[in-house]
Amino acid sequence: MRFMVMVKATEDSEAGALPTKDLLDQMMAFNRDLIAAGVMKGGDGLTPSAKGARVRFDGASRSVIDGPFAETKELVAGYWLWECASLDETISWVKRCPNPMPGPSEIEIRPIGSLADFGDIVSPDVAAEWQQMKREAGEVD
Amino acid sequence: MRVMVLVKADKDSEAGNMPSEDILTKMGAYNEELVKAGIMLAGEGLHPTSRGLRMRFSGADRAITDGPFAETKELLAGFWIWQVKSMDEAVEWLKRAPFDGGTEIELRPIFEMEDFGDAMTPELKAQEDRLRQDIERKG
Repeated sequence: MRFMVMVKATEDSEAGALPTKDLLDQMMAFNRDLIAAGVMKGGDGLTPSAKGARVRFDGASRSVIDGPFAETKELVAGYWLWECASLDETISWVKRCPNPMPGPSEIEIRPIGSLADFGDIVSPDVAAEWQQMKREAGEVD
Repeated sequence: MRVMVLVKADKDSEAGNMPSEDILTKMGAYNEELVKAGIMLAGEGLHPTSRGLRMRFSGADRAITDGPFAETKELLAGFWIWQVKSMDEAVEWLKRAPFDGGTEIELRPIFEMEDFGDAMTPELKAQEDRLRQDIERKG
């Protein structure tokens, strides 16, 4: 099963505070363990929302709003993509993660949807095309 | 540069309501264009937060709260990772996405090695490069 594991933002990350060398070392060791276990499929840090933007869709209209955005603890500061046997296994791995922030922080875990969840809406042709597209994009099934 | 495109949730996505075949077809065509343009690096839909959870880190404490979570329009329902020349290019592509009905999508530039400054020592950078290669290899 695949999961998205999201590090939520804090005032520190939104202020552009960078991780210390000590935290980078610990995170690197954690990522090494994730890779060795075959869990790690991807991951990145996101720059503060001051460097970001939002596009609002309403019918045919598009409006752009520049960051920063206010709801700090709901913003995403970083993410991983993991392959685990269950939600419990994912939780065990997250517990081993070094605290990603200088102060208290929160990590959200979300199971990733698959094409099968769409049921009958997706015809076999569309499903085959979708898989092909993912291969072309360099993703593995 | 790389950007993360965050598709925010709404009450339909949180209720587990699937998009129509019409929207799925349009999204398929859009994703096709993104792949052909060499922009699409990854993309996924997330199950509603009722199937998710949050873990709080405080010192050595770890506390779990099960979903669902309340702040619907701040929740994530899906994402893409795109390779683009600039934020402007990302915005132009995003405007063409087949969303409607008051959806809000967030664009966030991704940290590259240079952004970490002195804490990212040459050794750490070399290790990061090796790790990313390992991830690719293991697939």
